[in-house]
Amino acid sequence: MRIPVQINESSAEPLYHQIETQLRSLIVTGQIAEGTLLPSIREFSADLKCSVITIRRVYQDLENEGLLRTRQGTGTFVAKVDTDDREAYRKQIVVDAVRELLDTSKSVGYSIAELRELLDETLREEERR
Amino acid sequence: MENTVLEWKDIVKKRDRMVLGPVSLKLQENYVTALIGRNGSGKSTLIKLAAQLIHPDEGEVMWFGQSYPHGLPAEVRSAIAYVPENFVSEEDGLKMDDVAEFRAAWYSNWDWQRYEELLHRFEVPGGKKLNKLSKGQRRKFEIAAALAIRPKLLLLDEPSSGLDPFAWKTMMNEIRRCVEEDGATVLLSTHIVEEIKRMADYLILIDKGRSLGLLEKDTLLDRVREVWIARDDELLAELPGIVDSALESENLSRFVTLDYVGAAALMEEAGIKPIRVRTLDLDEAMEYWMNGSISSV
Repeated sequence: MRIPVQINESSAEPLYHQIETQLRSLIVTGQIAEGTLLPSIREFSADLKCSVITIRRVYQDLENEGLLRTRQGTGTFVAKVDTDDREAYRKQIVVDAVRELLDTSKSVGYSIAELRELLDETLREEERR
Repeated sequence: MENTVLEWKDIVKKRDRMVLGPVSLKLQENYVTALIGRNGSGKSTLIKLAAQLIHPDEGEVMWFGQSYPHGLPAEVRSAIAYVPENFVSEEDGLKMDDVAEFRAAWYSNWDWQRYEELLHRFEVPGGKKLNKLSKGQRRKFEIAAALAIRPKLLLLDEPSSGLDPFAWKTMMNEIRRCVEEDGATVLLSTHIVEEIKRMADYLILIDKGRSLGLLEKDTLLDRVREVWIARDDELLAELPGIVDSALESENLSRFVTLDYVGAAALMEEAGIKPIRVRTLDLDEAMEYWMNGSISSV
């Protein structure tokens, strides 16, 4: 299978981190279903043009988190994700986005008060739709 | 934990106008390593040493943990496949299948089924004499014959020269299969960036007979970044690993660092958020490496 992970060339993050974050998100949100057989390490690395060392690290990390399971001789499969994890993960995605927003506002010199006002305004607009 | 398949140990080899070495390098089992460097830098010599077509003047080459100064024993030799950059002319007048018969007798793991399958995939017409094949067909035949011995160590000297883009893709897939299914370790010299991107785990850079070391491909890519920040000359002077910097406008600085992790930590400490950060292309990163700005390990 081909996994929709894409390396962002303008990202400052290390390769393994980018791949790991995207793959984790695909699994936790259920976009890649439980039981799916992932590509072999060599296949996935050729697909993403990175080294097998990077992919092995990603698979190992996610296996340690309980998201993947490796069966000797058959390959790496997506494990079952429990509901609490899924909820926690959804929240984390939004928390990260809010942090990013905060950083961006800071970099253009927006004050907390200005940001709060802008947020309120945007939310009101959204409600009126 | 990891097994060393091939080791060049304090190797020195004098060639016509060039001295290779002293070089010490190791290839770990089941990885693909790309050998890169300018023309005449010593890549082919390093590969020929690994195939024991030539012997070093100093130092020793070790295969699977042992050196064989008096010649490789049959069982070791039959685990090593070598595809040279230029083919020997002694076999020119022979038919493909006769050459294959000869190799089948020589290499104990020769796999006829795999050989036929590869010729078919590469679309090499059967029954021809080697000197009746085009340059590309000859190369395809040689690659098929190399993979058919189911090697543990695969040595390829610029394998893609003369191949059309379709055969090139087939070749890469087949080499990958050989690594995955046969557990082979691959060393290939190449000038083609796309080949390195798609296949290599490690890179060895050779320049003027000297090794600039062995690096994991992704480590090289992860280390180097091009960064734009609001002008801050004081900070710029303190950032680590800077190899290139410019003032792009009154308030905008751009720099290239070979230690992005260090630079990012310092910027964060100073409360500076980069305006943009870009990963360099592999060829750009290799150029900085070639210019001596990146050390291995």
